[in-house]
Amino acid sequence: MLSMKNINKVYQTEKVQTHALRDFDLEVSEGEFIAVTGPSGSGKTTFLNIAGMLESYSSGDYLLDDINVGKLSDNAKADLRNQKIGFIFQGFNLIPDLNLYENVEVPLRYRGIKSAQRKQRIMDCLEQVGLASRAKHLPQQLSGGQQQRVAIARALAGKPRFLLADEPTGNLDSLMARQVMDLLEQINRDGATIIMVTHDPELARRAPRNIQVVDGQLADFTLYQGAPDMHVSSHAAAQV
Amino acid sequence: MFECKPIFNSLLRSKAGAMMLLVQIAITVAIVSNASFIIYDRVQYLKQETGYPEESIFSFSITSFVEDFDQLQQIEIDESVLRGIPGVINAVNLSEIPLSGSGSASSIHTAPPPDTGRGVRAAYVLGDENSVDTLGVKIIAGRNFNQEDVVIQRSPDQVATVAIASKSFVEEMFPDGDGLGNTVFMGPYPVQIIGVVEKMMGPWLKDRKADNFIIFPMVVESTFQKMLVRTEPSERASVMKQVEALMLENNGDRVVSNVIGMDDDKALYNAGDMLMLRMLLVLIVVLVLITALGIYGLTMFNISKRTKQIGTRRALGARKSAIVRYFLIENSMVCSAGLLIGIVGAIYLGDALLKAYSLPALDIMYVVVTAIVVFCISVLSVIIPANRAANISPSIATRSV
Ligand SMILES: Nc1ncnc2c1ncn2[C@@H]1O[C@H](COP(=O)(O)OP(=O)(O)OP(=O)(O)O)[C@@H](O)[C@H]1O
Ligand SMILES: [Mg+2]
Repeated sequence: MLSMKNINKVYQTEKVQTHALRDFDLEVSEGEFIAVTGPSGSGKTTFLNIAGMLESYSSGDYLLDDINVGKLSDNAKADLRNQKIGFIFQGFNLIPDLNLYENVEVPLRYRGIKSAQRKQRIMDCLEQVGLASRAKHLPQQLSGGQQQRVAIARALAGKPRFLLADEPTGNLDSLMARQVMDLLEQINRDGATIIMVTHDPELARRAPRNIQVVDGQLADFTLYQGAPDMHVSSHAAAQV
Repeated sequence: MFECKPIFNSLLRSKAGAMMLLVQIAITVAIVSNASFIIYDRVQYLKQETGYPEESIFSFSITSFVEDFDQLQQIEIDESVLRGIPGVINAVNLSEIPLSGSGSASSIHTAPPPDTGRGVRAAYVLGDENSVDTLGVKIIAGRNFNQEDVVIQRSPDQVATVAIASKSFVEEMFPDGDGLGNTVFMGPYPVQIIGVVEKMMGPWLKDRKADNFIIFPMVVESTFQKMLVRTEPSERASVMKQVEALMLENNGDRVVSNVIGMDDDKALYNAGDMLMLRMLLVLIVVLVLITALGIYGLTMFNISKRTKQIGTRRALGARKSAIVRYFLIENSMVCSAGLLIGIVGAIYLGDALLKAYSLPALDIMYVVVTAIVVFCISVLSVIIPANRAANISPSIATRSV
């Protein structure tokens, strides 16, 4: 479903040139749940942004569902994001002036879905994250964990096949983090492909596949499939 | 496609900035529509027909400092000297100069005292049989003065018995249309109207009865005389330059002053209106600029406040055009509310001005056009910030916490 070959990303600021990704190669198949770990500044967010078409890359090839992303127009990328990808952010990124219902509605409006259909989808998604009763509330009236669940509902609303999460539990305590993780696992079981960046080894361990980004490269490629008890470490079970 | 409802809801949830803008737009519409209407009204006033070929006429004053000479004969000499200047069409001695802001007026009645009948106020001027021709006005009924009509006043009870009057005076005096040939009374003195002039305005353009003007065929002795000269339009400037020297050449015991074109004389009288006009224009420009800057600034501020939100929207699939549209719709909503309040305010303000300054009633078209213009300006001032917002990178969504 996702295929990156020799992706390079260079940030050019006035004085310094940062090589955020170097010859980055990755293949992701339909239905995978991947945890991305790595030191701060190693390029995890950069990778996720490129995967989600939020940023362009300097060189290399990126195919999403066999579409060459590098050749797409800005509008086409926006449409593709809307149709295929759900985003979950560390800071939740709910729109403060919209209530929960309206927040979940945002991607559906951009897709041009009719109002009656939208309503059904929104309530279903809020139901799924357990917040349907609070549809009229504003984000600031919720706890962090609840806000993140609304954000997940928003990500799910468009029925994306691909979910990208950048430290979705980074701002949450461990109990709430686990709840969010439970939710993500449920979504993955329902068929969505998930890539999640996390600093939490415990959560990373729960993902069937772990990858590590070090200094802009895929340093370690670890598969834990069927071995949920194993620890994330450099002497991993399988290396690619 | 259009997100009117959520935009409206989110506006209601954070009103402060929008309210300020709304009030500003309302004030702008209320003031600008009234100001532009006043400007229109004043421009109409300033460019109204006066009946005179103003560019071909000039006037001047003569003050004599000796009295022991035949002033009436001097007037005859002066007039003929003036007529002798190449380019001069005619010249006349007048008691007052039309449009100059100084003159005489009286109530003219249908009957002599004590039972004076109906009275109509009119300005008047005294001059000889050359008056009508020199003023360049058109007699549409009756006849011009001849030499026998002219009364050379040597004692106060010697007054004119005929008059030529403006059409608007004759019609007001005799609404039945039988003014020509009829007699009116100036105090006890009967005067027959022998000629009607299509249009000639009195000395005070701002007077409600500025159109009521009468010429009496009389010449009065005085050491202070006013002369009116009509020339070929292209010759006026050169004639005006020669006039002082020529007047003093035939009698040096006097001073020539205030040589001025009729149009300039009128402009002097209207200087206050011109000043007001300019100030209102400045007011309009300043208000509209402030409103445009206000909208621009508020949108810029909104964008910097909502950078993350815009990035998130882009990440969720908003095209750039959707972001531009968002701000356009938001602005249109605030603007429309402001316009509605502004329109009501404009009508109330117009009403207040009408009562306080007896201005004509505000034409609703001015309010409508102003509202449309303000709306267009608001759209223009939101486009630049909205485009800037659309160019916010969607990666902001993950990069800023
Ligand atoms: N817009 C940018 N301009 C310049 N350099 C950037 C920009 N964004 C990221 N970088 C640099 O690219 C490198 C990779 O950044 P990235 O955000 O991908 O790291 P990360 O692995 O997500 O770190 P963290 O765990 O702290 O979130 C860093 O050195 C960072 O400073
Ligand atoms: Mg990061």
